[in-house]
Amino acid sequence: MDVSQYLEIFLDETKEHLQSLNTQILNLEHSPEDVDTINEIFRAAHSLKGMAGTMGYKRMQALTHELESVFTDVRGGTLKVTSNLIDAIFQSIDALEEYLTNIQANADEGNNDNEHIIKQLQDILAGGGVEEAPPKKTKGAPKEKVAKMKKQENWLEIPIGENEAILALAKKQGKNVYGITVKIQDSCLLKAARAFLVFKAIEDLGDIIVSEPSTQDIEDEKFDQIFSLIIISEYPLARIIEAAESVSEIENVTGGDLDIDTSDVSDEEETVLVEAGNALAVDNAAASGGGAGPQPEKKSSKPVVNRTVRVDIEKLDVLMNLVSELIIAKNSLVSASSSEEGTDRSNGVNEQIEYLESVTTNLHESVMKVRMVPIESVVNKFPRMIRDLSKKLNKKMELYMSGEETELDRTVVDEIGDPLMHLLRNAADHGLEETAERIRIGKPENGSIFLDAYQEGNNVIIEVRDDGAGVDIEAVKKKAVEKGIISFEQGENMTEKDIVELLFHAGFSTAAVVSDVSGRGVGLDVVKSKIEALSGEVEVKSTRGEGSVWTVRLPLTLAIIQALMVTVGGEKYAISLGSIQTIEDISSEDIKFVQASEVINLRGTVIPIIRMSEVLDVESTKPTEDGMVVVIVKKGDKMAGLIVDELMGQQEIVIKSLGKYISKCKFISGATILGDGEVALILDANVLI
Amino acid sequence: MDLMEMNVVSETNQFIVIQLGEEQYGVDIKYIDNIVRMQHITRVPKVPEYLKGVINLRGEVIPVMSVRLKMGLPVDEINKNTRIIILKLDTHGNIGIIVDEVKEVVTLETENVEKVSYDGKDDRTNYIFGIGKYDGGLISLLDFSAVLAE
Repeated sequence: MDVSQYLEIFLDETKEHLQSLNTQILNLEHSPEDVDTINEIFRAAHSLKGMAGTMGYKRMQALTHELESVFTDVRGGTLKVTSNLIDAIFQSIDALEEYLTNIQANADEGNNDNEHIIKQLQDILAGGGVEEAPPKKTKGAPKEKVAKMKKQENWLEIPIGENEAILALAKKQGKNVYGITVKIQDSCLLKAARAFLVFKAIEDLGDIIVSEPSTQDIEDEKFDQIFSLIIISEYPLARIIEAAESVSEIENVTGGDLDIDTSDVSDEEETVLVEAGNALAVDNAAASGGGAGPQPEKKSSKPVVNRTVRVDIEKLDVLMNLVSELIIAKNSLVSASSSEEGTDRSNGVNEQIEYLESVTTNLHESVMKVRMVPIESVVNKFPRMIRDLSKKLNKKMELYMSGEETELDRTVVDEIGDPLMHLLRNAADHGLEETAERIRIGKPENGSIFLDAYQEGNNVIIEVRDDGAGVDIEAVKKKAVEKGIISFEQGENMTEKDIVELLFHAGFSTAAVVSDVSGRGVGLDVVKSKIEALSGEVEVKSTRGEGSVWTVRLPLTLAIIQALMVTVGGEKYAISLGSIQTIEDISSEDIKFVQASEVINLRGTVIPIIRMSEVLDVESTKPTEDGMVVVIVKKGDKMAGLIVDELMGQQEIVIKSLGKYISKCKFISGATILGDGEVALILDANVLI
Repeated sequence: MDLMEMNVVSETNQFIVIQLGEEQYGVDIKYIDNIVRMQHITRVPKVPEYLKGVINLRGEVIPVMSVRLKMGLPVDEINKNTRIIILKLDTHGNIGIIVDEVKEVVTLETENVEKVSYDGKDDRTNYIFGIGKYDGGLISLLDFSAVLAE
């Protein structure tokens, strides 16, 4: 049997609830009396408990149960919200997250009982509301052992059939053959999941030979509250019944020895069948009585804060491919029409193209929107993290976020969490001064960290800002020399900006003391490479004494872009429009030499130029005396001029991967298919600069 | 010995016979996704010479390599018989190889495949795992893990 179909829903919902708990409890810390917040927390805790229970994660259930109890009292006004209580709750949320991680990894919650946390919660309960808050009755009330043979003995009616031989053999080998009947509580919602847990518990002790109804039917929930099993086991019956009963929401388990005469097989079979016939009527009545009961209400506790939409990313990818084909088709039409210019048909074709163009543009936009998710899901956990850091580092600080609704491609959002977290930790640990120091130099006692996200053209910018000390240029320089990253002479000649860039060098950490918050030697270089893997970039600007700004720039989408098509040596290349600043015509006299490299002076700015024919190893087809076409590209505040032979025009292109086999070429970021079916390579201007 | 051969030719023993220079080679049919005519190949800069570039195969961009250059044979002579065989490999994804001609499909019995001992001296034997005997003569069976290795 398979419980994974529930597991995914469980994981998703639990994550949501935990996130909601985190957020709400942070709210609660600021406004301890807010009734809405308390209700929201209570609901989340309650749902968590219910879900954990249904899935059979007992430790998780026990912990959430205590949480729920605490908030029952808080809601009832018998328990005051104290910082002690908040801390305990955060600890339990962390413990729950740990369970969740374990479950995600191997469908098992792990063995950590987290007794101290439960104890702590119970102490709070006892201390806060002793008189009026009796601990809530534990679920599933002590189970009374049902006397054997009193209730329905469904297992007796299981047709043994071809398994007879196996059972007889087991008997001969001195093993026990039992029949048991398990009845699940009427209120249970996920019967199949329960049954699965019973199966699992029993399989640890023996082998299940026959199941009635069949395993498949049980899995499909095609059974009432009762199912029966025939088991071969070395253990005593009581132990098996105990194991089955330990699964929650099981009403009772009955069972007995199955008599199988090893010598006279055929006789026995008859007896069993006759018995089965007799028991049938009784059982049907009992079963229908149990199963027909109305399903108790349970869904009322669904939180209203759920705004996310879960879409299977594979389906989206299929959709994306369809769109790309459409665009390719459109491009074919474009090239067909241009070859037929002048004929009567070209008008009709043009109309078609216009239509097709509007369709594809719309389709593209709407599909992109489905793929886009707000970064909220990632940044939501940061306030909590900063709160913890504030306590750990003993610095007073506050996180201000804006633009959480900014949307990014889902794949990017999934990946951006870690780098951002690292930048925030960095700001908290290295950026902000100690509280005492802040007071001394007359800054506000509370350090401020800002996280601002916003869209800028085809990019999304996420800024992590702090009002701390800023980067200590001299310290960085000294450290870099010490570490052998640069020589002393190099250090003397470097600009401040270049020195700040050294922070991204592998193996660089300026914190004098290595803390577990930041500075384990890995760090900003990992942030940089991660962001670059997402086709983004990161920059830092710092003013001594006023703070630093870390700017992460990410592409809005990854799959379809507007590009400028150019030719170099007869070959076609695409350059993303996003990185192009201007296009200039220059004559060869405009090129000057500075430190043996070619530059042009463009309206007062000196821009290095790159001859693309040299980079791409082709002969330029354009005679130099005609002047040159220079495409000025920009990355951050760096610019470069790319000399190309000819401009072909602007086009919407679909980015295709070059495949695993050709991935060596750094400045080619991919390929695209043109209207005539030819492949053109996409130049990555960011690498060329 | 029998065991070794079983490993070499197990699930299928159908091979496509291709011409490369003077010799005939066999390509295990289970790796073949498609065979297409020679078409325009877009050059990719800064890659080894034997990687000829990429082609468009029904909307997918597929790298194409010259087996001739990889194996140290003279440069491909493109004519009307030249084909690109698209291989589908777990390790490398889809990749096209240029061959002079595609001749026929042969079925080889296990006993008609002779494993080639690996000697480092001759470059070309490094790229084959066995010799197949059939009516028309002998074919060298290409070992793609070696041919595609960088």
